[in-house]
Amino acid sequence: MNEGLVVFVRSIIAFFSLLIFTRIIGKEQISQLTFFDYVLGITIGSIAASLTTDLSSRAWPHWVGLITWAALGYLMEIVTLKWRYASKVLEGEPVIVIMNGKIMEKALKKAKYRISDILELMRNQGVFDPNEVDFAIIESNGRLSILKKAEHLPVTRKDMNIPAQNTGISTELVYDGILIEENLRQLNKDKDWLMSELKAHGINSISEVFLVTLNPEGSIYIDKYDDHITKVTDIGDYKGPF
Amino acid sequence: MRRFLVISIPLATIILFLAVMLSGNYLKLPLGKNDDIPGLIEVLIKDIQDEQWDKVSQKAEELNQAWEKVVFRVQFSAERNEINNFYIALARLQGAIIEKDRSSAIMELKEAYEHWSQLSN
Repeated sequence: MNEGLVVFVRSIIAFFSLLIFTRIIGKEQISQLTFFDYVLGITIGSIAASLTTDLSSRAWPHWVGLITWAALGYLMEIVTLKWRYASKVLEGEPVIVIMNGKIMEKALKKAKYRISDILELMRNQGVFDPNEVDFAIIESNGRLSILKKAEHLPVTRKDMNIPAQNTGISTELVYDGILIEENLRQLNKDKDWLMSELKAHGINSISEVFLVTLNPEGSIYIDKYDDHITKVTDIGDYKGPF
Repeated sequence: MRRFLVISIPLATIILFLAVMLSGNYLKLPLGKNDDIPGLIEVLIKDIQDEQWDKVSQKAEELNQAWEKVVFRVQFSAERNEINNFYIALARLQGAIIEKDRSSAIMELKEAYEHWSQLSN
């Protein structure tokens, strides 16, 4: 029995099983994970680790544990998606901790948060004075959402009656020196148009550019491989290995 | 086609993994020449009862070789504990054969059989 080879094969089984299961159950971003999702992830990872290296027992029971946890996680996701009541019980619900500028002490106690935690979360959001806050809500993922009082909200173009145009999302036309023709077609442009734009910027070949993007308003961004920057700003505060 | 591949590749992968993990129960059975563990144990018990110690030594060596073949096949699906315990039973059997100790030899063979039957089970 070659232990190294067995661990190698078991690693492949655990790795790809985990990949497949997490692709099925894990649609949420890490930042949106609830505490239970977090625990679920750790447990599944731990089972996969013992599936890989615990040679004293067969791979099969570990794998059954892995798929059972993954299936239950998926089931919970379906239940919370289809049944709002269950979602509130299982994932919790947002708690208003500051209402009309007043701290809700009972809600804080129920959510098991100290006021110092709330002040810290407020500072994380750039709010240093509780006077500025109209509403603060602890979301079910533990993050704090803040609605500032009207007098502390920034002025918008609408407030000033300044007309604004939508800029839209930029699309990549050249990525790492390679032309993406599909995106060009989507924007009703062709290669000749792109070459004339590049020539206007003193570029003769697509292979000279690292990135070209175009937004729906027609604004083009071009970055060449050769940046012609002689002195690069170093933001490091001490001399490191590189 | 793309959708088919997105579903079929993970599905085929899982089926392959299941086959690797559950193949031990089949792979421990005699599949070729000189790899019949329960058959050899049975013959050994009979020879020990008849006290034919020369034949017993030869068959014990065959059992060793058969076990090496089986371990090679079941290593990805079996638990290391059962494999180790079988090796220990074989070592003890060798000692019992040297001492021509009938009861110990049969005890070790019975234990070895139990480890074989529990393998990947």
